[in-house]
This record gives sequence, C-alpha cells and structure tokens, in this order.
Amino acid sequence: MMTKRKFTVVDIIILILLTIFGLAVLYPFYNAILVSLVPQHVYAESPFMLWPDEITLDAYKQVFNDQTLINGMKTTVIVTFLGTVYNMLITILTSYALTKDIPGRKFINYLILFTMFFSGGLIPYYLLIKNLGLINNILVMVLPMGFNIMYMIVLRSFFNDIPDALEESAKIDGANDFIILFKIILPLSLPILATLSLYYGVNRWNEWYHGMLFINSPDIMPLQLVLRNIVQDASKFLQGNTAAMANVETFSEGIQMASVVTTMFPIMMLYPFLQRYFLSGLTLGAVKS
Amino acid sequence: MKAKINNLLSSIFEHKYIYLMLVPGLAFLLVFKYFPMYGIQLAFKRYMINEGITGSPWIGLENFLYIWSEPAFWRAFKNTIVISLMKLGLGFPIGIILALLINELKMKKYRRFLQTIYTFPHFLSWVIVSGIIFNFLGNTGALNSLLENLGLGQINFLMNKGIFRYLLVYSEVWKEAGWSTILYLAAIAGIDPTLYEAATVDGANRWHKIKYITWPGIQNIVVIMFIMTVGSIMVAGFNQVFNLYNEVVYDVGDIISTYVYRISFQQAPDYGVSTAVGLFNGVVNFMLLMIANTVAKKFGKSGII
Repeated sequence: MMTKRKFTVVDIIILILLTIFGLAVLYPFYNAILVSLVPQHVYAESPFMLWPDEITLDAYKQVFNDQTLINGMKTTVIVTFLGTVYNMLITILTSYALTKDIPGRKFINYLILFTMFFSGGLIPYYLLIKNLGLINNILVMVLPMGFNIMYMIVLRSFFNDIPDALEESAKIDGANDFIILFKIILPLSLPILATLSLYYGVNRWNEWYHGMLFINSPDIMPLQLVLRNIVQDASKFLQGNTAAMANVETFSEGIQMASVVTTMFPIMMLYPFLQRYFLSGLTLGAVKS
Repeated sequence: MKAKINNLLSSIFEHKYIYLMLVPGLAFLLVFKYFPMYGIQLAFKRYMINEGITGSPWIGLENFLYIWSEPAFWRAFKNTIVISLMKLGLGFPIGIILALLINELKMKKYRRFLQTIYTFPHFLSWVIVSGIIFNFLGNTGALNSLLENLGLGQINFLMNKGIFRYLLVYSEVWKEAGWSTILYLAAIAGIDPTLYEAATVDGANRWHKIKYITWPGIQNIVVIMFIMTVGSIMVAGFNQVFNLYNEVVYDVGDIISTYVYRISFQQAPDYGVSTAVGLFNGVVNFMLLMIANTVAKKFGKSGII
C-alpha cells in the first residue's frame, strides 16, 4: 500500500538539480549541431545560440565532398562489420565452452583474467604487430580486439541460466556440442546476442587508436582518426589565433562540428536500442557475476 | 593412478568439441595478449633493430636507472596519481549522488527521459567528445561567448595549467557519471520494497529512508567500485588525456601512458627505455589491482577474480 505523497520543496529541488545536470549534458550536443547548421556570419555574431537564425547544409556538403572522410567512413563500416562478427564469434564460443566443467577450466579462466591485470606494454605490442605484417593493414583494427572480458562474463552467466535439461535431451538424440550451441542455445539467447553485438559495434565504430599507431595510408584511416586529425588541427586554431581564422575562407568550426555530428550520427540512431537493455540485460548480469 | 589418467583422458575426449570451441579465444589471447609479454625483456636490453628482441644485448637495470633520473618520468608518475585521486575524490561521489537523486525523483517518465540523456555520452569516443569540448570551451566558443556577454570575461579553459586537471575530472563526470548510476540504480532496484513501506508506517521521512534503507542497500557495490577505482590509480585514462592535452599543459596533464606514447614515437626512440617505463607502470598497476581485489573480497562480495 503506497500512499501517494504530495510534492514537497525537496522534490522541487531534486527536480531542478537533475534538470540542470540534464541540460549540462545535452546543451554541448545541441550547440555542436547548431554550429554545424548555421552559416558563418550567424556563428560569428554569437557562438552561444539557443535557436538557429538561419540554416544551411553547406558544412555537411563540404564534409561529404571530402574524400578522406568518405574513405574513413568506408573503412570504419568495414571494420565495424568484420570486428563485430569476429568479436561475437569468439565471445560466443569461449563463453559457452567455459560453462562446461572440463579439465583445465580453472586454468583457462585465470589465463583470461590475468590479461585484465597485466599487459606487455606499448613497444612489445608494436613490435608484435609489425612482425605480423599488420602495419597498414585494415585487419589491424579487427584482429587484436578479440573479445571483451566483461561481455564474455555476462554471456557466460546467461548461458549458465539456461536449463541443462534442454541440452541433455539433445545429447541423447546424438547431437554434438556445436549443434547444441547453434541449434538450441543460441536461438534462446537472441536478445542478449543482439545487445552484445550492438555494444561491440559501438566499440569498433569508435576505433581510432590502432589506426593512429599502425595505419599510415590515408585511404584506410578509420573515420574517428580522420575526425581526430580535423579536431586536433582545429584545436591549435581555437587557441585564440583569430588572425589565422579570419584568413580561412571556409567556416572551419561549422565543418568540424558537421564532422563530429556525422561521426556520432550512427550511434545516435542506435542509441534507443542500446538503451533498451541497460538495466535488464547487461548490468544485472555484471552485478550477479 | 592409471585409472585417474584414463578418467581424465576420457573426460577430455568426451569434451573434444568444447576444447575446439576454445581454440579461437585462446589463440587470440596467446598471440595478442601473451606474446607481447615476451617482449618485456626489452626493458633490460638495448634494442637493436637488426638483432630483434631476442638478439639484443642485455644491459641490466640501465634503462630503469635512466628513467628514474628523468624528471619528465617523475612528472608523469605524479600527474597520473594526482589526476586519478582527483577523479576519485571529486568525480566518484557524483555518480552516487546522482543515482540517489534519480531514485528520489517521482515523475517516472521524466526520470526515464533524463536517464536517456545522462547515459548517452558514454557511447561516444573521446575523439568525438574532445571535438565538442574544444568547440564549446574554446576561446571563441559558446561558453566564453556567454561568459563575455555576462561581463565575466574570457577563460582559457584548454591551455591553462590551473584548470586542466579539473577539465579532466569534470569532462569525465560529464561523459561517465550517468553510466555509473546504472549499477547503483540496479542495486537500489533490488532492495525489498516492503522495507520502505514499513518505514513509512513507522513515520520515517525521506532522509531516514535514504540513510537507513537505500544507502545500506548500495553500500556493498559502492565499496567495490571504490576499491576497484583505487586499484586502477595508475591508469588515469589515456584516451581522454591524449585527446584533450597540449604542450602547454604537459606539466600538469602528462600521464605515464601519454608519456610512453610520446617517447616511443618521437624522432629517435629508445625502445628499451619505453618498455621499461611501461613495465614499471604495469607492475605497480598489477600490485595495486591485486591488493584492491583482495580487499574487495574481504568485503564479502566477489572481486574480479
């Protein structure tokens, strides 16, 4: 029996505080979108905007005319697709195998967890990639990211919750472990598989670090690295060198923000789906294990 | 003995497909996680390109003596710890407070809406976020324009040694505080609702309920998160710092991972020295994490291992 209590002063204070934090998170995005949409003279009048006085798509036209950015998008789409498939395959196989009580399981668990605590470091890693011939190879943004240990733990605990009886009866019918996994277990796990794929997809989409370390050729730079170069060039610029800015004919802030918005657009579109499973799927699994 | 071995072998044979499933994951770990550990020996060697890792000559602790005499290394070491502690002291509590406030908000639909906003930045890379920050906080950006219109003058947020560490703390709060509430809110959702009803009957007010029901309900998870954050003090956040810093703020912002990156990819890098810095950091980090994990286990709940 919950009695509905009335709205007190404290409730109003909480409401205001939370709203302020919400605006603080939201406004920089809103502002970035506005900067990408207004012509230069509107921005020059007042960079702080609540509403666009005039809208133009010029910045976006320039972004989509820039071959480096287009190439970046192609590369990132390929990397995201290949990477997600590769990640899911390894995650599924490893998670399922580790639900079984096999000799050596404990050792393998330690082998996996140890990599969360210790790594070889940058130079040994760099030399390895070089020796594997992965420098300037698009696969360098796929292969070294095998699986995320947290996601693996979440999936493993999900598999663990599936009743054994289902597997037992299949086993009696003579099915081997691969058939059981793909015909029985995975069809029961579609929502969590979809969720993990989305999370992996976002991680792969955000890839720039391996691109920066190992890719020199502009043709196969990932989108985020192209964006980073644009942003870092601009940051030197933004440090107050207004003389340099006046000389540039194009509206550089507009183009930068159009690049930023373009890069985060797919994540914005996927966000409702990412968010749907926050509370139910991922976190509870993580808390439990 | 023989029977035991036979048992083991038949168990392995029975699970042959399961072992087969482990092959891709283990191959990945061996190649990309464990093989680089073989290269750690470079920390005790002078690296010669023609000789490779194995053939390069041993030089004992020379690389370590060099880095320990290097002021830039100690600067990075100190910055790493200071920045992590600032994030822990100023940033960590915000997630908890935010979760408690969200939980107290009565309008459920508005609450969902706000949570949607709060968690969004978590999914963006620091590259994107740095782009937004440079534009928003730059000298000609929106915030400075607002400050100027209010007669408060300009603030150089991005190239100011006094501000940079706070920029790191609060940009991380901006990006991750909403995400961190999810864990706390999940713990709160697990609290038995009859506790609140009983407390209401007993005349408890809102503060009493937070203090005696909600807080104890999330205490465990808070302690674990706190300990694990302490354990990762040596990781101050490469992606964030690397995308936000510039030469002017190296004094207060250069952390070990960014330092390693710079000395590794400068004009004439000394791979032995870079590896030594990485190893030093890795060992300290490993010990801290092990301690943190042991302490977390003591608090009753599971650690990571």
